[in-house]
Amino acid sequence: MSAIIFENVYRYFTREGKSLPALDGIDLTVADKEVVALVGPSGCGKTTCLRLAAGFEVPTKGRVTVGGQPVNGPGPDRAVVFQQFALFPWKSVEENIAFGLRNQGVSASTRRERVSAVIKLMGLEGYETAYPHQLSGGMQQRVAIARAYVLDPEALLMDEPFGALDAQTRIMMQEELVRIARVNPRTVLFITHAVDEAVYLADRVAVMTRRPGRIKEILDVRHVRNAERWNDHERIEDVMDLESFVHLRTHIWRSLREEKIGVAP
Amino acid sequence: MTPSTLPGAHSSSTLPARLTRRFLGTGSVLVLLAAWAVLTMVTDTISTSRFPSPLQFWQSTKQIVTVGYADGTLVGHALHSTRLVVLGFAVAAGIGVPLGLLMGWSRRAEALINPAFLVIRPVPPLAWIPLAILWLGLGDAAKIMVIFFAAFVPAVINTLSGIRAIEPPIIEAARMLGTGRWRFLSEVLLPAAAPMIFTGLRLALQAAWTTLVAAELVGALAGLGRVLNMAQQDIYPAMVMVGMAAVGVLGWATTRLLAEVERRAMPWLAH
Repeated sequence: MSAIIFENVYRYFTREGKSLPALDGIDLTVADKEVVALVGPSGCGKTTCLRLAAGFEVPTKGRVTVGGQPVNGPGPDRAVVFQQFALFPWKSVEENIAFGLRNQGVSASTRRERVSAVIKLMGLEGYETAYPHQLSGGMQQRVAIARAYVLDPEALLMDEPFGALDAQTRIMMQEELVRIARVNPRTVLFITHAVDEAVYLADRVAVMTRRPGRIKEILDVRHVRNAERWNDHERIEDVMDLESFVHLRTHIWRSLREEKIGVAP
Repeated sequence: MTPSTLPGAHSSSTLPARLTRRFLGTGSVLVLLAAWAVLTMVTDTISTSRFPSPLQFWQSTKQIVTVGYADGTLVGHALHSTRLVVLGFAVAAGIGVPLGLLMGWSRRAEALINPAFLVIRPVPPLAWIPLAILWLGLGDAAKIMVIFFAAFVPAVINTLSGIRAIEPPIIEAARMLGTGRWRFLSEVLLPAAAPMIFTGLRLALQAAWTTLVAAELVGALAGLGRVLNMAQQDIYPAMVMVGMAAVGVLGWATTRLLAEVERRAMPWLAH
């Protein structure tokens, strides 16, 4: 069991002596092997949620646990995929992916096995010795996802992982992620501002209010996906054309728009 | 900015274009040499007692290479100066880079070291020469001390700013991947700061040559600065120019060498 659980989490930032609330009582559970997408207006604190789970920041109040353990600093059990990839430019593709395993003291032969398996999974064969700057943005993000997957983490934390990619690459990567999730399901917290992406990828979508962020509503996409047999469709555009998909997407859009113009309390 | 230095101006790097540029460069040097020869040896526009002719330059070069000047041959003086620059530079880099890394790595180390560093930093390196001579005499130790103070400052500052400039996600990725302290230093901070560190080392090397020549001018038992100083006292402009040319060639050669080390140390920047 490796659930991510936010229990009544508050996060305040101090600026110029004043205390500014960023998160205002977040309660959210990402169940074992579940994909939850967190959407919300910009500045609502969705990235802060991810950073709390990653251990880059600590909650002012409340607690975050992953796999039953309170989060205490960053670690390889909670692998992060960053929007700007954050690969090590001085390491080859292979070295970037193997780095976390080396830190864990995994033997060289096991390392080679696991790295080549994930390289195959992510379609990176032939690029093992390339440096990140020699790759396109899409390929770099594949390396970053491979670097996270190879750790076999309890939780994958993805912070707008496709936000820096062009539209076409983005769609390819979304399809890819769904394919990988079927082969190797993980507990995933996925931050995005793209509603399409959230509905396509997630089992549940959590919508946040504007700052200070709270969970406004949670939509069960998985239920609709199974009932309407989305998985019968190979291509993302065919899924996005389905009435049930459009319905969910429009619902979330309206919900977000309310936040932007400030109808909410 | 002139049009030729705009980015992309060199995009027309076809072979003929490159050959034309090389031809232009060689041509301008040849024209200068010819003008020098004509003005000093044919028209006598420039008095050779102030500015030597190419022939005098060549004769002086031959003299210092074969017979010697200022108690040594050109090779002897050059080796002497180069050895001091390399030693002083090595000590400065060997202490300055680790110190910059330490200051970038630990806020506490920075709080401890930075004030002392800020006191030393604004003192021009050449101002250390009198103290160095008082303490250590006219020998090698004084020169190394002066070079150290000149080269140390850019080595520390650039290493430190190299670390400060690392993108936070890189640091966070390393922490997320469970990187241990030593590996974090050697495989994350050091390579991430490497381009800036080498910028610092290039500046340090230039500073080392500048201060060495100045220190040798003030007082030395051997070296190219001593050649320059003696030639000045002997009112021997041709030999002054030979000394200047020698310093220029050595400075260029050591910089080239450092650039080669840099290229090999950072293979990921190669295209």
